[in-house]
Amino acid sequence: MFFLYNLERRLTLHPSYFGKNMKELVTTKLMKDVEGTCTGSYYIISVMDSFTISEGRILPGSGLAEFTVGYRAVVWRPFKGETIDTVVVSVNQHGFFAEAGPLRIFVSAHLIPGEIKWDPNGTPPSFHDEETTIQVGTHVRVKIIGTRAEVGDLWAIGSIKEDYLGYFLHLLPP
Amino acid sequence: MSDPRDHDQPDDSEEEEDFNPAPADNSDDEGNNAADNDEDVESSPRQTRKPSPARNDAADDDDEEGEGDEDDVAGANDDEEDEEEEDDEEDEEIQGHRRKRARRKDKRSAFFELEAEVDDEDEDEEDEDDAEHEGFIEHTEAGEAEQFAREDDARHRELDRRREMENDMDLEQEAERLKKQYGNKRSARGMGESAVVPQRLLLPSVDDPSIWGVRCKEGKEREVVFSIMQRIQQKQGTKDELGITAAFERGGPNSVMKGLIYVEAQRQTDILQALEGMLNVYPRTKLLLVDIKEMPDLLRVQKTPTLEPGAWVRLRRPPKHSGDLAQVIDITDNGLEARVKFIPRLDYGLRDDALAATTADGKRKRPMGPGPRPPQKLFSEVEARKRHPRYITGNPQTNNWQYNGDEFEKGFQVKDIKIQHLTIKDVNPTLEEVTKFASGGEDGVENIDLKSLAASLKDSTINVTYLPGDVVEVYDGEQKGVVGKATNVQGDIVTMEVVSGDLAGQTIEVPTKGLRKRFRPGDHVKVIGGSKYREEVGMVVKISEDRVTLLTDQTNTEITVFSKDLREASDIGGQGSLGQYEMTDLVQLDPTTVGCIVKIDRESMVILDQNGDKRHVMPSQIANKLPRRKLAVAADRNGAEIRPDDVVKEYGGMGRQGKIVHIHRTYVFCHTNATNENAGIFVSKVSNVATISAKGGRINAAANTQDLSTMNPAAKRPEAKNNMGPPKQMFGRDRLIGQTVTIKKGGYKGLLGRVKDTTDTHARIELHTKSKIISVAKTDVVVRDSVSGNVIKNYDSRKPGAFGMGRPGGDRAAPDWSNAGGRTPMASASSRTPAWKTPSAGAGGRTPAWNRNGDGGRTPAWAAADGSRTVNPYDGNRTAYGGSGGRTPAWSSGSKTPAPDSFGHGSKTPYGGSGSSDPWGSGSKTPYGAAPTPGASGGDSWGYTPGASGGSGPYDAPTPGAALLGAPTPAAMNAPTPGAYSAPTPGAMNAPTPGGGWQSGWGADSAPTPAAAAPTPAASGFSYAVNAPTPGAWAAETPAASGPRYEDD
Repeated sequence: MFFLYNLERRLTLHPSYFGKNMKELVTTKLMKDVEGTCTGSYYIISVMDSFTISEGRILPGSGLAEFTVGYRAVVWRPFKGETIDTVVVSVNQHGFFAEAGPLRIFVSAHLIPGEIKWDPNGTPPSFHDEETTIQVGTHVRVKIIGTRAEVGDLWAIGSIKEDYLGYFLHLLPP
Repeated sequence: MSDPRDHDQPDDSEEEEDFNPAPADNSDDEGNNAADNDEDVESSPRQTRKPSPARNDAADDDDEEGEGDEDDVAGANDDEEDEEEEDDEEDEEIQGHRRKRARRKDKRSAFFELEAEVDDEDEDEEDEDDAEHEGFIEHTEAGEAEQFAREDDARHRELDRRREMENDMDLEQEAERLKKQYGNKRSARGMGESAVVPQRLLLPSVDDPSIWGVRCKEGKEREVVFSIMQRIQQKQGTKDELGITAAFERGGPNSVMKGLIYVEAQRQTDILQALEGMLNVYPRTKLLLVDIKEMPDLLRVQKTPTLEPGAWVRLRRPPKHSGDLAQVIDITDNGLEARVKFIPRLDYGLRDDALAATTADGKRKRPMGPGPRPPQKLFSEVEARKRHPRYITGNPQTNNWQYNGDEFEKGFQVKDIKIQHLTIKDVNPTLEEVTKFASGGEDGVENIDLKSLAASLKDSTINVTYLPGDVVEVYDGEQKGVVGKATNVQGDIVTMEVVSGDLAGQTIEVPTKGLRKRFRPGDHVKVIGGSKYREEVGMVVKISEDRVTLLTDQTNTEITVFSKDLREASDIGGQGSLGQYEMTDLVQLDPTTVGCIVKIDRESMVILDQNGDKRHVMPSQIANKLPRRKLAVAADRNGAEIRPDDVVKEYGGMGRQGKIVHIHRTYVFCHTNATNENAGIFVSKVSNVATISAKGGRINAAANTQDLSTMNPAAKRPEAKNNMGPPKQMFGRDRLIGQTVTIKKGGYKGLLGRVKDTTDTHARIELHTKSKIISVAKTDVVVRDSVSGNVIKNYDSRKPGAFGMGRPGGDRAAPDWSNAGGRTPMASASSRTPAWKTPSAGAGGRTPAWNRNGDGGRTPAWAAADGSRTVNPYDGNRTAYGGSGGRTPAWSSGSKTPAPDSFGHGSKTPYGGSGSSDPWGSGSKTPYGAAPTPGASGGDSWGYTPGASGGSGPYDAPTPGAALLGAPTPAAMNAPTPGAYSAPTPGAMNAPTPGGGWQSGWGADSAPTPAAAAPTPAASGFSYAVNAPTPGAWAAETPAASGPRYEDD
């Protein structure tokens, strides 16, 4: 789910940049530093605006100036139980991996309805039943049943073993 | 009979009856659990009891008889009566003597009327218990004899009459009546007091029959009891009915009471009688009298663990297999033996020879001696045939064999084993053991019956650990289905707080055996139990009953474990290390092979080596662990730099994409999330991957992304200022040429020579020793002073001119000067500026002079140089010259003056500055040499020089004048060093002068330096005039400050 979130971050600036456009530099640096990162429970998608930039404080020893910047960002946090649309990126007999933006989701074969069978002989290998085929590139609606945080990354386990989940579109290869 | 008794009877009986039934019920409950056989056995003595005079009092007998009669008469009542009786009997057996007595009394009173007549019939059978009857009879006999006779007669007649009536009576009516009379009682007593009577009142007393334990053959307990029962039935109603009231056994496979049966009788002899000649029982051995206190314990019911086909057990008995896991195939009918299959431990006679040897020594051959037992291995027909072809029979189709008297089915040994030789509880089969059984399936498909495994495991609760905080679910018992959180665990009891359902919020206590841990898909759990997946951490993907499937964090594989082995985990980590080795570590297997650890088990690990092969290795097989080199760099197929943590993609092949974990020589180990295989690690050649993205965007790092925490590149000063410039380009003739050198290497080592010619790397050296020119690397020569032989380190900054001049004296005198000269600001533009810059240079006398390269041309330049050199610290050195010049007093003061300085520099600077070889040419030298000389001689040459310089002539004109004055000095100088010094001297002399001249002539145009010099010349001009020796000094020194000082001097 997407949120607007007020965050704070400390940035340092080399003395050689001290000057008129410091705020601009700090803002640029903020964007560069935080956009697209994952804090462990959510992804920072975009910095909307940075509304407070504190006075710079010189750090003893290094001479760098430290700024505390408060900013507002669009963050995305996947929740347990949330249903999201994903694209399948890899399929193997244990299940398939799908991606929803930066998030990688594994759907175990246990969490795929029984009638959707693993077919290792197809090209490409896929899970399929009469109507649908899940292979690389398929769009799949997945319910997240658990998330796991790693350093700088998030990763989830999903299920399509419920009504209205699973295959909903297949992008034909161009 | 006595009516009052009759009247009393109902109350009495009610009371008594009420008293009785409760235990009857209890006993029922207990009895149900006990083997049915017991009951049967026990019921048999009851039947025999009736005729037994020894035990039963008359009343009792009467009861029975009466009942019997009634039964006969009123068949309809049979059932009820029987039941009642049975109950009663059970009471007796279990509760003991006292109750029996009580009942007897009751019955007697209850049946008083009916029994009176029966009594009569059976009177002769009355035994010692007749006391009460006697009393009764006595009472009747108390009257007179006639009365007795009359009564007797009347009684008989009445009896006859009643019999008549009874016969006449409708049987149905009779049934009705009996039902009315007794039927209610039963129900009444049954309802009332089951809970009221304390059990302790029902305990046996000394009056009850005793129980003896009788030895019998172990395992035959039940058979013995059965045969006792048979015997009782046989003897029933005969003369020699058995005098025992009960017999039972508490055998069972694990019982301590096996090998004993228990017989209840009044007297020991009854037992001996009853068991006479019976098989498998030894009444002649010592009988064990059971203490009264222990009697109830003897009958305490223990639930025996039930063994079902498919269950897992451990073997105890064949010592070779003790501790081995076995699976129950079947249980024999008598429940004493189980057919189990297990993995055989066979050596196929490999050790027979050794044993044969021992027999030769006369020792007894033992079939299974001590020593290492063979490992568990499925039966192999081939192996067996190798040594014992004769011992093996069987059917290859069904894969069933007999070998050495043992049966084998599909590789497993099958054997009937007594249940007491099996360990049934706490079997704890590990998955590995069980897998061995499963893998024996013909189709190779693993068909582990997790259900039976679970059942086996469930019995053992020892290794199930519940901790406060665990979410648990009750799956058995009254609270089934309740989910809660454990708050306290004490022994086998878990206190849990119910979180959902009707009981929500309550705290209940549950025994662990009905509990299991509860998880939900998505939970992050850790395996804590004894399975082989211990320490794995993962996320739950599936739960069915108490089996939980989870996807491990480490390897992304799915494993199934029992929920009891799981705990909620908050950490990630998990089983990632074995000793010093961790997942994805790079290790050296042998000098040419490295590998990446992709899986770690408890004792071994799987390594993906550089060739992409997987190997199972033990930690001891690893040569060493290669530290992770963060700085390792390689070039991908496009030549781009790749480092660990960069994302690369295979070119061709499988096109896998991953993050570099290790770079080792030409191999990259990468990790990808796209596959579970090898924990996502794959190996590739460096030349076979292409960079997708580099860590920190190294590749795309454009100029616009600046690092604001480091120096602003824009604010940095230009490079040239910070760094030393590149070494000045040498051009022109190699300074080495002409140097005196020694050779420090090679065959000519140590020889002295002179460099004749050089190339970039080599020098051709003319040896002093013999006339030979050799070629030696420049690095192999040491430049030496041609006179002193001292090593000259920086010969190339010297003015080789000195050497070139070939004037040893000069060399000797001014080595340091030459150095100084090299470094003088003279070289820098500033000093020369005015001269150079003057646009009029061309027109001006001086410019041409510069340009000309001519001798005279340089004269003014020297002057300029002098000015700049005023502060030259080297002046001091030059003092010596002054000294040598003989101008002593003047020079001493003048030693610091620029004049000498100018000499030095004057002489050398131009050379250095000129740079071209021309000035070096003999021709160029000549004028120098010549110049002073004329100066000294008179100024003709000066005249000549200005002439050369053209327009500057007028300015130069004074110089000669000065030169005239200076003439003596140079002369002095010239004396020792005719050539070299003669040249500078005039120059020096000239220098100030023109300076002054320029000053005046060009005015402001001349740079500051000249300006500074300007006054000097003026002064010096005078001083020259006045004081011959010092003029030069004055000229140089002058600049303001020194002027006064000098005057002080």
